[in-house]
Amino acid sequence: MNWLPVIALLIGFFVFYFVPLELPSDYAPYLSLATLSGLDSILGGIRAGVEGKFHVDVFVSGFIFNTLLAALLAYLGDQIGVDLFLAAVVTLGGRMFLNLSLIRRYYLTQWNISRQRDTERT
Amino acid sequence: MNLNVFLSSIRNNPWVTPVTVMALVLGALLAISLKTQQTIRSASLPSNRFSGLAAAYRDQQEQLKMANEEISKLRERTTQYENEMASASEKAKLLNDSLQEAKFLAGLTPVEGPGIEVILQDSKKRPPANSPIDIENYIIHDSDLQRVVNELHAAGAEAVAINGQRIIANTAIRCVGPTVQVNSIALSSPYVIQAIGDPETLASALNLPQGVLADIQALDPNMVKIVKKNKIQIPAYTGSLVFRYAKPVVATPGGSAQEEKENGSR
Repeated sequence: MNWLPVIALLIGFFVFYFVPLELPSDYAPYLSLATLSGLDSILGGIRAGVEGKFHVDVFVSGFIFNTLLAALLAYLGDQIGVDLFLAAVVTLGGRMFLNLSLIRRYYLTQWNISRQRDTERT
Repeated sequence: MNLNVFLSSIRNNPWVTPVTVMALVLGALLAISLKTQQTIRSASLPSNRFSGLAAAYRDQQEQLKMANEEISKLRERTTQYENEMASASEKAKLLNDSLQEAKFLAGLTPVEGPGIEVILQDSKKRPPANSPIDIENYIIHDSDLQRVVNELHAAGAEAVAINGQRIIANTAIRCVGPTVQVNSIALSSPYVIQAIGDPETLASALNLPQGVLADIQALDPNMVKIVKKNKIQIPAYTGSLVFRYAKPVVATPGGSAQEEKENGSR
């Protein structure tokens, strides 16, 4: 297991929680979407990493384009009176569950393999 | 877990470094997002509570109505008790008679008699295009009600009520947003003004040329309707009657109390 991303997450959270930086509340929905998009990117990145298919360019561009598309949908939804940002929330949320289940499966398999090896050795 | 474990994991897995950097960014985003949401929550009402508040407002209005009904019931009962007590002795009867008269004059008892009903309502017409007349003139305002009530009193009306709200000595008629408040109760068009008095006199007072209703009748005759009636019932005043500043001046028959006081101080 790699604990580095988790530690970085905590550091980033606590540093910015105590830095007096705040956005105007008009941008709150966009900020929330960016957060969601970031969460999705990280889970997607870890999944690609454990499957051995990780590419930095895909990872970074995925985050940027997902955020932009989500923000665009939210803005468009605001203009035409439809909660379009829900589309982004549902898609990103669904994908997060999918990615998380794949990561969980990978680490469970690894754990099972190492346990079998231990029993064979003894 | 020492540093070597981290270094080896970075070497073995090329994805760890970018994901770690992204996790740092995500942590920052989470923190700012959380703080912004907290500010929004503390600064304003969340929109999902509007319906609940509206329901609570309706409940309160319902309760106010019930409380007002209870006030009128209790006041009626007080009158009954007063009457019962009066039957005990001649002195009490005399006192009670004057008490009932005072309550009648103050508007605390329902009354009935001949009179007129004036119905004022907002016009359904709109001013013609390019007309200099403002649309404001097509709605009934607090000032219209005030003028009509004033004219009715001047013509000898003995009891007046607007939409069941009795006009008493300290009743205020004022405009609050889209409604007119009488006795601090919000009313809206159509306004039914009931007045007890000589129906002919009251009606002709309102129909005077250049009178109080001439302006609105000229715009749209449908805004005003006057009905003479043989019998009108006007309810009692049900609001609160708390005097915090005014105190009755103690009556001094022949100025004797004052003299006594002066004698005492001498």
